[in-house]
Amino acid sequence: MELKVDLCNGCGNCVIVCPVQAIKLVDNKANVSMDLCVECSICSRNAECPVNAIKLKRLRWPRVIRSPFSNVISTHKITGIPGRGTEEMKTNDVTDRFGVDEIGFSIEIGRPGVGTLLSNIELFTTKLANIGVEFEKASPVTALLIDDLGHIKDDVKKERVLSAIIEFKVPKDKVAQVLQVIKNVEKKIDTVFTVGLISQVMKNEIIPILDLLERQGFSAKPNAKVNIGLGRA
Amino acid sequence: MTHTLHRIGKKEGLKSDYVILAMLATGINDKTPDARKKLFRIAEIFNQYNPANIIQKSAWNVSPVITANYTNLETVKQVIQTLNQEDLGVSIVISGIISEIQKIIQDVGLSMHTVHLSLGTFGRKELLPSEKILEITTMCGHHCISPQSIDYYIKLIKNGKISVENAAENLSKPCVCGIFNPARAITLLNKLSENL
Repeated sequence: MELKVDLCNGCGNCVIVCPVQAIKLVDNKANVSMDLCVECSICSRNAECPVNAIKLKRLRWPRVIRSPFSNVISTHKITGIPGRGTEEMKTNDVTDRFGVDEIGFSIEIGRPGVGTLLSNIELFTTKLANIGVEFEKASPVTALLIDDLGHIKDDVKKERVLSAIIEFKVPKDKVAQVLQVIKNVEKKIDTVFTVGLISQVMKNEIIPILDLLERQGFSAKPNAKVNIGLGRA
Repeated sequence: MTHTLHRIGKKEGLKSDYVILAMLATGINDKTPDARKKLFRIAEIFNQYNPANIIQKSAWNVSPVITANYTNLETVKQVIQTLNQEDLGVSIVISGIISEIQKIIQDVGLSMHTVHLSLGTFGRKELLPSEKILEITTMCGHHCISPQSIDYYIKLIKNGKISVENAAENLSKPCVCGIFNPARAITLLNKLSENL
């Protein structure tokens, strides 16, 4: 985005709506930190700028990569759907993407609302690649990986985004190793991240992974997403 | 797209906050001649039960997902009953308190197929706003709602310059998916403005 400072009347609407606090008023004019701006376009859509000072401009590589990881109405070329993630468990009753002996993970770096440099992805992916996880092919994060060791493209590492979701699955016997990676990365990362875990439910309504989580020092929140099995091929 | 997961709040508050999402599987059941009609029909069903919020109508014919938000578990049950009766073959995901969801789908004769559990937030949590603010901002899973906009509206409410209902409606605008719950936001804004 671009903010035409000469047009700005200092109303501050854009300062209020910016989710990453990239816009400040300086001498009664809106001033954007282009380092902090994640190209979410929320200011353009929601600030109702009275003097039309906010312009969306064509972004060049690598800055253009910020948009699909930040702008909710930007459709990523890989996933074909708006937003940062994939179908994951939402259609698992049809796709069986996560089988009965597999566990899915979604690690969303930068959420909730803090943002992240894309370089933080490697903190996880290089360790997860060692374990032999299967990265989700349709994920925008997987599209950034350049080798089997979990490295990402060098030229995108300094790009800041609202969040990036690492999606993958593992056999159940590797879940403890993944949880250990999460514990280790938590100590060195410079932002926040959320963790989601996907499991099919047994016929007796038991979620077998809960015991293991507890033994590893993790617990599930009371609220979750539940696929209720109404889909069919 | 984990955007309906990781909503922050106490169990009592979350009991009035349920999102239902419908989606077709890419390359499997999304290209049949009636695929779009099915999603549109689901949007109509969602709308019929007076949702607290719903994906904007202009997206009903184009969005790969249809979403709506409800404040009442009994209403969620009625929506699921109708979807079960119409048997459209579209995947349905409910987000909310898992034990409550389990009860109502059992009542309808269904069972949980797959769950996506939240293990919470990790890392530099000192960078986050207060939990009270997060209870509102995390209702938009793409984080389109800024923490400072909550402070802004609380001050306006306190000064009598906007009603709490209008503030909640304004806050819901950036959430294009229609999963922000304005009714829960009213409750949370009332509490925050009382404490200011």
